[in-house]
Order: sequence, then structure tokens, then C-alpha cells
Amino acid sequence: MPALVELVGATRQYGERIAIDDVHLALRPGELAFLVGPSGAGKTTLLKLINREIRPTSGEVWIDGLPAHALRASRIAELRRRVGVVYQDYKLLPRLTALENVAFGLQVSDLGVADAEAHDRALDALEAVGLGDRAGAFPTELSGGQQQRVAIARAVVSQPPVVVADEPTGNLDLETAWQVMKLLEQISRFGTTVLIATHNLDIVRRMQRRVLTLVDGRLVRDQPAGRVGRLAWASS
Amino acid sequence: MLNVVRNTFRHLFLGAARNWLRNLGATAPALGSMTLLLLLSGLVGLTAFAVQNLAAAQAGQAAVLHVYLRDDAKPDDVTALRTKLSDDSRVAAVSLTSKADALKRAQHRPGMADLAGAVDDNPFPASLDVRVRSVTDVGALADEVDSSPPVDPILPTSYNPGANDRIQKALLIAGITGGAFLLLLGFVAVTVTANSIRAAILTRQNEVAIMQLVGAPRWMVRGPFLVEGAMTGGIAGLAAGLVTLLAGVAVVAAGRSTFAQIAPGVGFGVCLLAAAMVVLAGLVLGSVASLLSVHRQLET
Repeated sequence: MPALVELVGATRQYGERIAIDDVHLALRPGELAFLVGPSGAGKTTLLKLINREIRPTSGEVWIDGLPAHALRASRIAELRRRVGVVYQDYKLLPRLTALENVAFGLQVSDLGVADAEAHDRALDALEAVGLGDRAGAFPTELSGGQQQRVAIARAVVSQPPVVVADEPTGNLDLETAWQVMKLLEQISRFGTTVLIATHNLDIVRRMQRRVLTLVDGRLVRDQPAGRVGRLAWASS
Repeated sequence: MLNVVRNTFRHLFLGAARNWLRNLGATAPALGSMTLLLLLSGLVGLTAFAVQNLAAAQAGQAAVLHVYLRDDAKPDDVTALRTKLSDDSRVAAVSLTSKADALKRAQHRPGMADLAGAVDDNPFPASLDVRVRSVTDVGALADEVDSSPPVDPILPTSYNPGANDRIQKALLIAGITGGAFLLLLGFVAVTVTANSIRAAILTRQNEVAIMQLVGAPRWMVRGPFLVEGAMTGGIAGLAAGLVTLLAGVAVVAAGRSTFAQIAPGVGFGVCLLAAAMVVLAGLVLGSVASLLSVHRQLET
């Protein structure tokens, strides 16, 4: 099965500083992987390369067959419609309800979706994340965990082949964090490739999925699913 | 397809209208300066049109020498003078305007109808209207006919040395000054509008970033801001166009009731056209200003 996300010798420099250093990585459809490493290791930079928020200084980044490294500005939106993103700070629009936020994500990425269909699909996505009864609530009326679930619903409502999450549990208590992770795991079971950058090593150990360890921008360890590794950087 | 049209319209136009109303406080200075600029442009445009007509009429008149005839001039003397002028190589054509024709012509001039009817007698003299091939020969010809027997000794001809040059010079200075003033106002209006759009983009930076991150195409992110700029320009244009139309119509009406033609060639149609051009200029200015701003702020 061809990789949905593929980095070939991807390097990203900010001036003299190397944030990502010659990373080779392939993620297949339906795969869920964790991206771990100390602060400043380059996790967020790597996710930005995948969502084409930045371009690699050298090397290649392929997303669902699209060359993110060589993509013209006018085609970036096309790539981003194939990547759902979940942020630590949720990035919800405060003047829209939960339902409208999710429908907004859907209709912005596909203008052909009718209002009724957008409503139904957004509601389905909210119900899938357990928030069907809070569809009319504004972000300020929701807890952090609920807002994160709305953000996940928005990321997956258009059924993108790839979902990336940057510290999705960073602002959540352990129980809520666990619920969010189970949700992302469910999403991967439907064939979506999910890559989660996290500091939460308890969850990484418990879920026993593929773990990619970044240190100083280098991919120092690629631990297959089902094995419990040492996560050596955590003890340093 | 219908959904695409409906969603596009809602996103571009309804969204832009909602945001424009929400940011009215920030947009007000741009709206005011652009309205002022467009109003002045409209009024200056109408004035320039009238002045251009006046200049064209003056240029045409400058090559025509009216030789005024005494009321008691003998027909033979008139014929002799007319023949002499027709035979002159510097003259293109000569025609005779009788006192009756002069009166009729005067009655068609704005305001002159009342004057012509105010006296019992016909005050307008007969004339030989001489079309001279070159404006530079008009003075010499005027001197030559000055003392001819049928010519009115008090006001022999219409020749006024230097008048045309003075008018042309004054028009040139007025044109340059007006153009420079409008350029300055245009620069101010575009700058203020571009800044107001930039402020709108900054206040909605979060929304714009989210739209970009969820895959909104560039036109969908930029489009509402362009529509907002066009709305600002369009509304300023409408207000300025309406005032231009009313002012123009008022001037035309005032000209009809006075003895002078205030704005030669300016009628209701011209005023309407000027108003439409002002509205169009507003739309273009607003769009260009927001385009500049969006281009600078949203380049990724």
C-alpha cells in the first residue's frame, strides 16, 4: 500500500538553526503514529511541513501524492483539504457555534456542499465525538476537552486522508486526554492516517502504536506498533 | 452547481457586507475621504468638460472675424467689401448675417432671449462673418477693414488681441493645478482605504488563519476583503455621484435663468454620465486599495 505521508530527506532550517534534519518517514493509510521528543525537537515543524504551512529547505514532502515541497501557493489549499489539523489551542471561531464551526470547515473546503448536508454532516461529526447535544453551544460555553473534540470533529468532517494533531491533549486532564486519544484511534480505524505530536508519554505507552522520536530535528528512533520502547530522551 | 453559487455568494458578498457593517467605525475615515475625493473629482470633471467646450468654442471663434456693419450701410458698399474679402487669399469664407439673423441667433443664446425681447428695437448689428485660414492673420485683416465705409466706426470688428492666448494659458494652469490636487486626494483616499482594510484583516487575523489552515482557497480568503473595499468605494461613489448629479443639474438650471452660460455643453445627460463615472471610479479605487492591502497582508 503506498504511503499517504512521505518525507524523503526533509530538512528545514531557520537561519543557521536546523529544526528538521534529513528526516525520512512514511505513514500508510489507517496508521496511527505518535511523534515524541523534547521541547524544541522539531515536532511542530514536522507537522507544519506536512500541512504545508512551511516548505522544506531541502528534501521532499509528499502528501497523498501531492509534492508539498514543490507546491505553488495557489495549490496549497488543495493540499490542506487532504490534511485535517487539530491544534493544542483548538483554533475555533468564537462567534460561531460548535455546529457552525464544524460546518464552516466543511463548506470552506468544499463549496458544493449544501446547507442541509453541511448541517447533517457536522452534526454527525459532533455526535461521533460525543457532542451532539452541545451543537448549539459557543466555544466559550464549552470546556477545554469539549472544544478539543469540536476541533477534532472539524478536522475529520470532510473525511481527509490524513489527520495531524499538535499536542491535542496539552490542555486537558488525563481522563479527557485519554478520551480524545481513543477518538483519534477510532478515526484511524476508518483508514485515516493519524500523526499525533505529544508530550504525554503515559498515553503513548498505553496505546502501543508506532512511535517516532525526534531529537534536535533528527528522527532518532522509529519504534513499530505493539512494542514498548525505552523513550530514552525522556530520561535525559 | 447551485450550491457552489449560493455558498460563494453568501461567503463573498453577505460575509463581506456583515463584516463591513461590523467594522464601520474603522471604515468611516476611508469612506469620508473617498467620498470627498470622488465628489471633488466629479465636480472638477464637470467643470473641466465645460471649460473644454468653452476653449473649443473660443478656438473656433478666434479664427472667425465678425465685421460689424453700420445700420445705414449702403448695399453696394457691403457687396464691395464682401467681394474684396472673398478675393483675399488669407480668407476661407465670408458670409453675411443680417440684423434679423443676428437677433435670431441672440435669442438662442442662454439668457439672451430675455435681453433681446426687452427692447423694442433690434440692437444687434448686421455683420460679415469672415473665416480666416490662420488665426495669426485675423489682426491684420481687422486693421484693413477698420476704416471701410460700411463698417461700424464704434465697434468695427470682434477682434480682441491676446484674448485667446490669455484664455489658453489660464486653462493650462487651471488644468495642471486641478490634476495635481486630484492626484494628491487620490493618494490620500487610497492610502486611508488600504489602511482600513489592513486593520480589518488584522482584527480578523485569527479567522483568516483558521480559514487558510482548513484549506480555504486563496480567493475565498481574499475575496471578502476585496468586496469590502469595493463596497467602501462603491458607497462613497454613490454618495459623491448623487451630489455631483444634483450640483450639475442645479448649475444647468441656474444657467438657464441667467444671462450667462455657466457651464457650456453641460446638460442632464452629461451630469448623469459624470455621476456614473464617479460611482465606477469609487468601485475601482476601493477595489484597488483593498487589493494592495490584501496583497501585502495575506501573502503566504
